[in-house]
Amino acid sequence: MIKKRFNPITDKSSEIIAFLMASPDMPNDLDLRFKIELSVEEAVENVVRYAYEGGIGWLEAGTSLDHESLVLTIELRDAGVPFNPLEKADPDVKLSADQRQVGGLGIYLCKKMMDSIEYHYEDGNNVLIMRKIVKDLKK
Amino acid sequence: MKVTINKQNEKTLVTLEGRIDTTNADQFQQDIAPLMEDERPNIDIDCSGMTYTSSQGLRVFLLLQKSVVARNGKMVLHNMNPRVKEVFDITGFSNIITII
Repeated sequence: MIKKRFNPITDKSSEIIAFLMASPDMPNDLDLRFKIELSVEEAVENVVRYAYEGGIGWLEAGTSLDHESLVLTIELRDAGVPFNPLEKADPDVKLSADQRQVGGLGIYLCKKMMDSIEYHYEDGNNVLIMRKIVKDLKK
Repeated sequence: MKVTINKQNEKTLVTLEGRIDTTNADQFQQDIAPLMEDERPNIDIDCSGMTYTSSQGLRVFLLLQKSVVARNGKMVLHNMNPRVKEVFDITGFSNIITII
């Protein structure tokens, strides 16, 4: 796994996203990259904004690619407040504009854009693992 | 992200260019603030140059749509890049915002 620990992470979202997107594990296909970048941004933002009180803390971000199955794995790890983002109810996407709540779409987008997303709490860390099959259709 | 607002007699023409993400969504919200002032808005947004939006950008579009609806106005987004359109589709925003 290619990984890097960022500490502190206050205002570091862009840097963390750029690190992950520059990984050689990432596909070249622009449609795939769009979906992955969106998911990475939403997941990283969640940690940077909410994991630590006052934003002081670390985040370890990594990628790996299984060259046989072409499954890309993105892993985010932090030692912030235990929080399982997958327990949050999905927004009701059928509501009208005046009924819709502002916000709450980030993790929902990750779920829709990635092929799988899982969370566990391990050794005092939040661990979020997102996977995407990166078979490059245009090759 | 570049926002161009051109107020004509009855219509407001807006052009969006670039990315809306976590680094500039607040700026985007400030840039479109003039659109929330018209008494009876009639807004036409050209999205052909918008290459990316995260949930932070969607949030601003929802605020704008709410403000347009509250004033019995109209807002249309057009020429949206298919990748960006998918984000609006998945989140149900295509049902509450007019995209042509």
